[in-house]
Amino acid sequence: MANENVSVWTSIPFWRRSAAWVTGFATILLIWLTFDTIGQISMGTDADLKNGVTKRVPAPTVINYKIGYEMSKKRGHEVPTIGEKQPFFGKEWSPKEAANLLHLGKLTSQAKNCMDCHTLLGNGAYYAPDLTKAWLDPAWNSMIPMIGGMIGKELTREEAMAEFLQHPSRYPTHARKMPDLGITAREAKGLVAFLKHMSSIDTNGFPRNFSKTVDQFKAGGTNAH
Amino acid sequence: MIEPFTDVVPSFFGMLNQGPLTLTIFLHTIIILPMFWIYKQEKEKLNKK
Amino acid sequence: MLTSIKTNSFEGNKGKELGMMYFRVAIILFGAQLLMGLIAAIQFIVPGFLFETFDFSVARMVHINALVVWMLYAMIGSVYFMLTDETEHEGVAIGLGKLAFWVLTAAVTVVVLVFIFVQVGSGTEASIWFINEGREYLEAPRWADIGIVVVVLIFYFNVFATYMKGKKTGIMTVMVANLMALAGLYLAGMFFTDNISMDQYWWWWVIHLWVEATWEVFVGTLAAYALIKIIGAKREVVEMWLWIEVLMLFGSGILGLGHHYFWIGTPEYWWEIGALFSALEPVPLIAMFVHVLYDWGKEQGIAKAQGQTGTVANNTPALSWIVTNAFGNFLGAGIWGFFHTLPQVNIYTHGSQFTAAHGHLAFFGAYATILIGMFYMGVQYAYGVERLKSTFKSKMAIFLITFGVVGMTVALTIAGYEQVLVERAELGAGWNAFFVAQNLPWYVQAQLWRAIMGVVTFAGFVFLVLDLLTIGKEAKEAQA
Repeated sequence: MANENVSVWTSIPFWRRSAAWVTGFATILLIWLTFDTIGQISMGTDADLKNGVTKRVPAPTVINYKIGYEMSKKRGHEVPTIGEKQPFFGKEWSPKEAANLLHLGKLTSQAKNCMDCHTLLGNGAYYAPDLTKAWLDPAWNSMIPMIGGMIGKELTREEAMAEFLQHPSRYPTHARKMPDLGITAREAKGLVAFLKHMSSIDTNGFPRNFSKTVDQFKAGGTNAH
Repeated sequence: MIEPFTDVVPSFFGMLNQGPLTLTIFLHTIIILPMFWIYKQEKEKLNKK
Repeated sequence: MLTSIKTNSFEGNKGKELGMMYFRVAIILFGAQLLMGLIAAIQFIVPGFLFETFDFSVARMVHINALVVWMLYAMIGSVYFMLTDETEHEGVAIGLGKLAFWVLTAAVTVVVLVFIFVQVGSGTEASIWFINEGREYLEAPRWADIGIVVVVLIFYFNVFATYMKGKKTGIMTVMVANLMALAGLYLAGMFFTDNISMDQYWWWWVIHLWVEATWEVFVGTLAAYALIKIIGAKREVVEMWLWIEVLMLFGSGILGLGHHYFWIGTPEYWWEIGALFSALEPVPLIAMFVHVLYDWGKEQGIAKAQGQTGTVANNTPALSWIVTNAFGNFLGAGIWGFFHTLPQVNIYTHGSQFTAAHGHLAFFGAYATILIGMFYMGVQYAYGVERLKSTFKSKMAIFLITFGVVGMTVALTIAGYEQVLVERAELGAGWNAFFVAQNLPWYVQAQLWRAIMGVVTFAGFVFLVLDLLTIGKEAKEAQA
């Protein structure tokens, strides 16, 4: 007859079945969540930008717009904002051109191994600054005239960034310099597009309080460029 | 208690996220609950031996 | 360990012989990892060191890739090593496995040489295919990815077919299922996309589901096998624990993946999922810790009651490393991971030296320790030694390496703390904020201590290699 005193807690089949269930079902939940997230982080389209539809990851043509990073009351943290049109390297890029440029930039970022010194979206190595919002960094306010002065030209933000990327060790910002990685003028343009695009990604408020002084923060200021 | 929806795109998980810990309680519960059933079955099996 | 190539004590056990081949390459790569780490540590203090000849990015890339590859080698070696014991079958295609070993080793050599001498490529698909994929930990170029997949398929076929033909123990069942997931996940890292958010979404599938799920289960499996072998733990007890560990590790670890999805462009609901599942990740690590110490104490007590004097372990250096694993896994992966797993904390610590501190203690505590334990089991078997006792060198190795890694971790934690408060909280990240924090005296001091502790770790590694080379021979002579 039944043995009522036997304990399930020391039974291997119980734990084996439980382990199989939990593993299998957690995997199914992860796949479900992945489908949901993939839908939300797929790149938007040029039409979204034109119609003012907010996407977590906007279309490559976001490089044609002014980008900001502002405190959102609703979200409780800073979010990227997309402003009026702004020429990028002196022109407006068609969807195809912008996509090609971003493709070149992303490829270059991998081929030059940016991630083993810098962090991108906070992931990578910790030897050099995070590049998530590098396009918006107020450090450029002093770097642009400095680089422009050295090559005797008035430069836009993207031109100064491209020049820096091609000859980084000429414009040191710290004893720890960025090495010359043989980045060509074409690749530098792509990289700047990649960085500008990355700054428009909605990162749920990371980095928090980006490069603001306390006063700027209180005033709800922005480092838009 | 129930917070307004703030995320960019509405979704099932985003809505569950509006209540206090409702999303995580939901996920933990549906993972753990069937273990009670596994427990009962195993108990029956052991009792029959 | 080297001389054991010529010994005959394998008695025709080809699986164990192949396991030892993997172990030997693993220890060489371990040395390479430490050397590269030292170069990178010096570059933090002396920024001009090897500038534009062997930059930080190169040293760091080889540092972390040597780490991943030596661990994969040691893991494959461990599986071949235990395969014949667990299945009681000689292995179906060990000859093919040996061929795969040589192919893999040749490919790894080429990849490392290209990393060191070519370093970077131009912004073209060809660079991704032949030089460097530029994705942290997965830098291996695409051709090597495909090669790795082929070699791993051969390895998996060997394990699976042997399992199907031989005895199906609980340990081996977990191993076979877990290895399939481990190998399959690598595929999630083999594609290119222009969308950096999508890129990192799948990148974390590989990295997280390896080190915080499948690798941890692998460690549980190895510990189960080793406890049976070394202290004669009861299989029923060990296997029940193993299933409980699998349940808890996968139950928390799979959705714990969410703690990497806080800031990469993914929806806000990951905050809650990532926080509350990953907060449970230390629980199975406590369980593993209790399990190892409990079984050890129990077997020791039984031996004592039977009038046996001395230790119950037939391999004290291996047991020391496995006990260090129990501590290190809980401390490095559990505590140091939990430190910054909540989004409220992580928004400030994400991408700081905190991560580096956690990375060092977790990879060492959770993985390096138990794999070194397996090396000692390999030596014991290769020399046919009944009882392998710790020598002075074994003790120096475990003391210096552990002390060095803990020292590095503490130093990096302090550096991370400085960085978080000044760069992130006070100055709000950004280019200038970063360098202000890097110049803080306490940050600089911490980096100096990290380098010193790195040297201590390396000294321990020298003792470890010397010990592995001599301990078996000495023990065999003493036995005879």
